[in-house]
Amino acid sequence: MRTLLLLAGLALAATAQAQFRLPNLDINRMVDTVKNVGKAVKEIDEPEEIAIGRDVASRLLGAAPLVADARMQRYVNNVGRWLAAQTERPDLPWQFGVLDSPNVNAFAVPGGTIFITRGLLDRMRNEAELAGVLGHEIAHVLRKHHLKAIQKGAQSALAGDAMSAALRDRAGAARDKLIAFGTEMYSRGLDKSDELEADRLGVVIAARAGYDAYGLPSVLQTLQAMNAQDSALALMFKTHPAPGERLDTLGEKMQPVLDAYSRQPQLGARFVQQIKK
Amino acid sequence: MRFLALLLFLPVLALAEPATVIRATDLKQEPASDSATVAVLAENTAVEVLERKSGWTRVKAQPGEGWVRMLALRFGGAAPAKPGATGLTQLFSVARTGTSGTQVTTGVRGLDAEQIANAQPNPAELAKLEKFATDRDAAAGFAAQGKLSATPVDYPK
Repeated sequence: MRTLLLLAGLALAATAQAQFRLPNLDINRMVDTVKNVGKAVKEIDEPEEIAIGRDVASRLLGAAPLVADARMQRYVNNVGRWLAAQTERPDLPWQFGVLDSPNVNAFAVPGGTIFITRGLLDRMRNEAELAGVLGHEIAHVLRKHHLKAIQKGAQSALAGDAMSAALRDRAGAARDKLIAFGTEMYSRGLDKSDELEADRLGVVIAARAGYDAYGLPSVLQTLQAMNAQDSALALMFKTHPAPGERLDTLGEKMQPVLDAYSRQPQLGARFVQQIKK
Repeated sequence: MRFLALLLFLPVLALAEPATVIRATDLKQEPASDSATVAVLAENTAVEVLERKSGWTRVKAQPGEGWVRMLALRFGGAAPAKPGATGLTQLFSVARTGTSGTQVTTGVRGLDAEQIANAQPNPAELAKLEKFATDRDAAAGFAAQGKLSATPVDYPK
């Protein structure tokens, strides 16, 4: 009994000691965090964002080239550029490209480059659906979702001064590492909250540009109706919340906007004429 | 001949896709909330999707045909579909082979996770991409042609 009491006392003492030590530990950790934040705070400015985006875009084009169809490429650029003009970053060097891949996906690259795959375009029915998807990708650029993720990840991948070297010297080895890291991020995806935010903003951007706001939800239902085991969907499903969850969230948060702008044009005929030939 | 013409329209009709009602929802006569209610569909009611019109979807259900709110439906949940066997996918894969011919798998390039992670720069394609870009004025003209007009809409809080 006495032994037990002793043991209990020891345990208490240990706990007390641990509690006593914790604040110190936390302070150390906080100092580290502040140091890292101090480094991260050095914002990548717009010319740097655009330059990084160019290099990442070039790599993505190395994975899949553009569809060799000038009319289709110009059409998607017109839709995208019109959407981008309705946003708070209207004068970025926006450019839009259709990648020649049967995979169903779309990518937003820092600085204003947006890619959509032919596989996704083939499953759309009208321009409002295209506008919904491009609006989602444009929102990623506006909120710098990828840029922030690249910066955050690169900070730990590239120790110390390497990050500033990567930004300073556009031909150096550190730069190569940064861009490789930035490209690889598209195989891993963003935070779920970034994707859901891009959905909400994408709906608004399409509505501002005069399209039926239900374009993006329509595409999400198309994806939901596809077989989830289809290999063309693998990366999209790995890097995004499930279509059902995205639709539920849009329904919860965006129903009034969706309904207020549901009678705007869908432009099905123009879409079919430009895309399907 | 009349039969042939009918056949031509079949793919459109074949769009009918199975879906499930995710919450109790009104089946409306017309695609409008102030339209007459045909029936109330209980949660998990299986329906067949016939047509979509912005926020509304025309469905065939046990009590009859009508319109339900688009976001009250969930697709593909009911029966596990065979690979690529949904009407929509079939329709579009036909369209795809019809336009661009074969989608050759080169083995090296591609947009799978691994292929993206190992991608090398392609400056020639980047130059093409820049060439296709358009400016704000041209895009505004394109929007006007489609009778699109810009309207102020706030971002959600």
